Amino acid sequence: MAGDGKVKVKRLFQKTLFGIVGMLGLIGLSTSWLAIDTVEGHLSEEYVSNSRNIAKTIADASVDILLNRDLATLQSLIDQFLGIQGIKYIYITNENGEYIAHTFVPGIPQEILDSDPNDTETVNRDLPGIGACVEVGSPILTGEAGTVHVGMDNGLIALKISAAIGQQVWLIGAAFILGVGGAIWFVHLAAKPIGQVLAYAATLAESTTVPPNDGEDLLERKDEAGDLARLFRFFAGAADEADKADKQSATPDGGGSADAAEPAGTGDSSP
Amino acid sequence: MRYGLAVGVAASWPRALAAPMVGGVTDEEFVLGMSAAFSGPSRGLGIELYRGATAYFEHVNSQGGVRGRRVTLKTYDDKYQPDPCVKNTTTLMLEDQVFLLFGYVGTPTVTRVLPLLKKFQDRSMFLFFPFTGAQPQRQPPYDSFAFNLRASYAQETGGLVDNFIKAGRRRIAVFYQADAYGRSGWAGVRAALRRHGERIAGEATYKRGTKFTSIMRRQVEILKQADPQAVICIGAYAACAAFARDAVDMGLRVPIANLSFVGSENMLKLLTESDTRADADPARYTKWLVNSQVVPSYEDASIPAVVEYRELMARHDPMPPAELVTEDYQRFPQSFVSLEGFLNAKLMVEVLKRLGDKPAREGLEEAVFSVRDVDIGLGELVSFAPDRRQALQRVYYTAVDDGRFVTLDDWQTRFSLNGANGA
Repeated sequence: MAGDGKVKVKRLFQKTLFGIVGMLGLIGLSTSWLAIDTVEGHLSEEYVSNSRNIAKTIADASVDILLNRDLATLQSLIDQFLGIQGIKYIYITNENGEYIAHTFVPGIPQEILDSDPNDTETVNRDLPGIGACVEVGSPILTGEAGTVHVGMDNGLIALKISAAIGQQVWLIGAAFILGVGGAIWFVHLAAKPIGQVLAYAATLAESTTVPPNDGEDLLERKDEAGDLARLFRFFAGAADEADKADKQSATPDGGGSADAAEPAGTGDSSP
Repeated sequence: MRYGLAVGVAASWPRALAAPMVGGVTDEEFVLGMSAAFSGPSRGLGIELYRGATAYFEHVNSQGGVRGRRVTLKTYDDKYQPDPCVKNTTTLMLEDQVFLLFGYVGTPTVTRVLPLLKKFQDRSMFLFFPFTGAQPQRQPPYDSFAFNLRASYAQETGGLVDNFIKAGRRRIAVFYQADAYGRSGWAGVRAALRRHGERIAGEATYKRGTKFTSIMRRQVEILKQADPQAVICIGAYAACAAFARDAVDMGLRVPIANLSFVGSENMLKLLTESDTRADADPARYTKWLVNSQVVPSYEDASIPAVVEYRELMARHDPMPPAELVTEDYQRFPQSFVSLEGFLNAKLMVEVLKRLGDKPAREGLEEAVFSVRDVDIGLGELVSFAPDRRQALQRVYYTAVDDGRFVTLDDWQTRFSLNGANGA
């Protein structure tokens, strides 16, 4: 317990420290999971919502073109939308399910040819040469004139989600590290005076008399460590007095002798 | 960023330093604005169109100009891309303040420029004779801002479909550029097939700007699955030549038709030079080709406009300024595209003449509509009216014989399913 005048308090606070770190870890993990779930959900929803808006914009703009103009103008319209980041493909089907404008090269993928051309439900597709996409649809004139389909790059949304989640996890990780560091520091702060008290108690136990100036800082503390130190000093003083009285009563002349100067703490005098 | 460089066609003409430019015209000159592809895989189209038009403008300028005014082209390169074309047009209209727009190249480019003309309609800015047969500038709401010389893609594809079906080839597939031009042609084929109770047998696409070195095997595979009896290509020469090459190499032995926009001579050059083996059949990639044209053969010496074209091309042999032509290009002494440019310029000069001594943009429509039954040397009379904004209606068909495009008169013999070249 005592060594080089320093006493390390490990066992008492180790469990506390582990407990705090464990709890922080648990909080960090659950917060991360919640953040990932929330961010992923919100961003995905927003992405699909934006895609739907794009599809609706094209659908609205297509009405006039389909009814009054030509397919080259319609193609020109969707080609301009293809420049928007994240849009991988656009195709428009007429009311008969015919593909009247699209942006596919070298051709319309079989998976799309096999699907219902007027379906506007959101579907996930993995198309050869294009990759993973989420496809949304929007009817033109409530479907009477056809349907616009927009395929958005899943890779891009995954990238955006990863970036957003990365930021969240980074923040939570930093909070965790800060929390653990703080816990260690606080445990150290709490353990230090107790160690000093223990070391002081050991000094008292090893001394034959109570050193007048030893542990002065400790004794001046107004906290529990000071109380404990003062208590130990009191007990040590009392034990010293009792020892002296015992020795005086054991001597026939009742006077003092050199034996009275023997160390009080030798033998089993430890507290 | 401004694309390309503005340059006049009559550099030798003395500059009238004192004459102020109002609305693109001075006492000395008309300034016409042109945005076209002078670089990139389709540069041959812009260069040849410019060459043909400039040959005639230089001739007119050397004769004293139009009522004393020389005709100058202010030219920018758009690389056959819509955004640069829109920027060039804005520059031409607002900064250069040209008299009119002339000789634009391509559907995706022109389609995007048309709303600009409507936006600035108070300036009476018109687009004359674009090198595209697409519908957007032929029908409302933009038809009133453009005048066309050539027949439409609908007429070209309609004629091709009709002739293939007469030859017994009813299963027709389409290979097209994935943009407004491709869609315009696709729509033409679809409409023509509908008239015969047929549908497009199969379709494959390619990206605008594709080079001849690109592989088109996937497109050929897609079309082979449809088992077509003919393929109509709606594209530019580099991609269409690559498709024809791979189709033949992969055993797709059916007629491959191309529209006038393709740039026939450039396509032929690529295909004949692609097989460098000593024992190579020079007709290997070209015997299945059939190209529709909107101008007659430049070999036909019976047509006065063709004779004049050949003479003026030989005399002036113009090239766009070196600043515009930044990539290697080997010009053709004659070509369908430069002949079209020449005829564009010829009709343009006819319109400018009709503006009188005080030409202004506001008088352009009236001047155009005064063109009635005018022969520009083709034998086909040209007329304009508020409801007639396309000068020529005729479509010509050509096939390759002895390494050059010649007029195709007999479809049955050449392309009948049981004919000499039939499958």
